[in-house]
This record gives sequence, C-alpha cells and structure tokens, in this order.
Amino acid sequence: MAGFFKIAIRNFLNSPTTDPYPFGETFTPENYRGIIDYTPELCIGCNTCEYVCPSGAIRVREKEDGSGISFSFWLNTCSHCGNCGYYCPTDAVFNSNDFHTARHQSEKFIPTIDDGISYVQCSNCKQKMKRPVEALLARAYEEITEEVRHQTSLCPECRRMKRFERM
Amino acid sequence: MFSKYATKSPWLYRINTGSCNGCDVELATTALIPRFDVERLGCKYTGSPKHADIVLVTGPVTVRSENYLIRMLNEIPDPRVIVAIGICPISGGIYRDSYSIRGPLDKHVEVDVNVSGCPVRPQSILDGVAQAIGIWKDKIKQFHEA
Ligand code: SF4
Ligand code: SF4
Ligand code: SF4
Repeated sequence: MAGFFKIAIRNFLNSPTTDPYPFGETFTPENYRGIIDYTPELCIGCNTCEYVCPSGAIRVREKEDGSGISFSFWLNTCSHCGNCGYYCPTDAVFNSNDFHTARHQSEKFIPTIDDGISYVQCSNCKQKMKRPVEALLARAYEEITEEVRHQTSLCPECRRMKRFERM
Repeated sequence: MFSKYATKSPWLYRINTGSCNGCDVELATTALIPRFDVERLGCKYTGSPKHADIVLVTGPVTVRSENYLIRMLNEIPDPRVIVAIGICPISGGIYRDSYSIRGPLDKHVEVDVNVSGCPVRPQSILDGVAQAIGIWKDKIKQFHEA
C-alpha cells in the first residue's frame, strides 16, 4: 500500500507524460528514418537506389530531352527502410528526420522529390556524359592530380583512346 | 440540436484490411498510450461502424478482406472522412502487384487523407487525424447546408 502511495504522489508531482505534439514540439531520434532527402550535387546517376528500393519509390531515368538524368521519389510507397541511403555510393540520397507524411488525397501522385542532374560535355569530343563527382574521386584516388582531373573530363571513349596512345 | 457540438467530437473507427499489424500497433499506441493520446483532439474510438465519423483504414485490401471492407463501408453513414494509414492502403506499398491484393483503397472508396509510412509514426497519425478533423468539419457544414 505504501508503494502505491509513493508512485501516486510521485506521478502527481511529475509533469504530464503526454507529448505536446501536434500543439507543440516533439522529440525525434537522431537516427529516425523519415522522408528521403536528395542532394543532386552528389548524385552520379548510377541507378543503385532504384535497384535496391523494395517498394519502387525511386525512379532514375534519362531525361526525355536527353539533357541529363532525372531522379523522382514518390513518398506514398516508401517503406522508410533506408536501403537507398545505405547503398548509395556518394550518400546523395538519405533519410532525413522529417516525419510529416500526412497529405491530402489531391497530393497523392505528386512526387515528393522531382530533381536530377545534367550531363556535361567531354572536353575532347563534346559528347554528353555523366559528370565526375568529387566524393567518388576522393574515394578512388589517394591524390587527385592534374592528370586525374584531365582524365575525368573525358568521356569513356576518349579516355580509352588516350590510354591506348600512351601505351 | 446536438449538431453544433457534434462537430467538436468526431468518433474514430478502425478497419484492418489485412495489414501486417505494424500500423495497427501504431494506431493502438496513438489511442491508448498517454504519451500520444489522440483524445486530446476531441475524438474517441468507437466499436461500431454506424457511429463512425472518421475511418482509419490499414492494410492493402487483400482478397479475403475485400468483401468485409465493402460491407463495412456500406454501414458507415455520410458525412465521413476516410484516412488511409500506412503505404499499404495508399499504394499497396511493399505488397504492390501481389496476386492477393485488391487495392489500393481509393479503388473502393473516396479517400480524403493519406498518411504514409511503414509503419506510420504516432505523431504522423496525429497529423493525419488533425487534417481529417478539418475536412470533417467542412463536410458537416456542407451536409447541413444541403
Ligand atoms: S542517389 Fe545515389 S544511388 Fe541513386 S542514382 Fe544518385 S548516386 Fe546512384
Ligand atoms: S527508404 Fe527504402 S523504400 Fe524508401 S526510397 Fe529508400 S529504398 Fe525505397
Ligand atoms: S504500411 Fe507497412 S507497417 Fe503498415 S500495415 Fe503495411 S506493411 Fe505493415
């Protein structure tokens, strides 16, 4: 009986346990996997995220006008599993902390992210190609020399020819 | 006589159309745990579809549950607000394109609010219910004017 009173008095003195949300702020854990965020500057258009997504929420396609690669994300089928962020080689896509997923029906088919990257031109033949991304270069080379810079400005075809000439 | 007060206290009704139980656990959490306490918004869970004002649907509408869902929806009076909880009823989610799925939910009934997530966070459910209450008030107003 004494134990019961102890708990009752303690609970009486404590502040309410109810989370003030939606009338106030709420707590979101650091690692909470919320809505996907995307950084086009880091993306290399490799399609990995689309391939590993279990619910088909991500679509990476060549743009219709051929000027680059589009990235679109449909929130309403994302299971917040975190696969895309885990497998993305440059961390261009990741789970943000945002949990505000309640939307009106009229917004159902609007993609949450509709972005993409543009192609760059090969410095030799002016062919369109995917651009080099610093984050990936830093992982591939110990030191990024002038030579490496020059190589990355070439399309795969020209690079092959240049290497062949050097041999 | 009571219609003025009725707009302040919608009753929630829950339909499970074959969900994995993840979203149902989150719904129960939202309702029963003092930490989230959906009754602060003025609503209350009811056990009967005939009393329902806001209907929370979970699950991808499986072949087995389809008939029950339609029968249940026929019993719910207008005006009502349908809220799809979780990616299952919205788009089929991870069960999309399965042979045993007759979803998504908006094929069977007019949905008003979609709360995506797998499972949905209780805070997001509160968001969704708050939006649904707004829509419900509009619907009640239109209903009385008509
Ligand atoms: S977001 Fe990442 S995984 Fe997806 S295409 Fe871009 S670089 Fe590849
Ligand atoms: S979190 Fe999972 S379901 Fe969502 S987009 Fe990424 S891979 Fe797809
Ligand atoms: S949305 Fe995810 S957690 Fe909710 S019922 Fe469907 S599979 Fe389960």
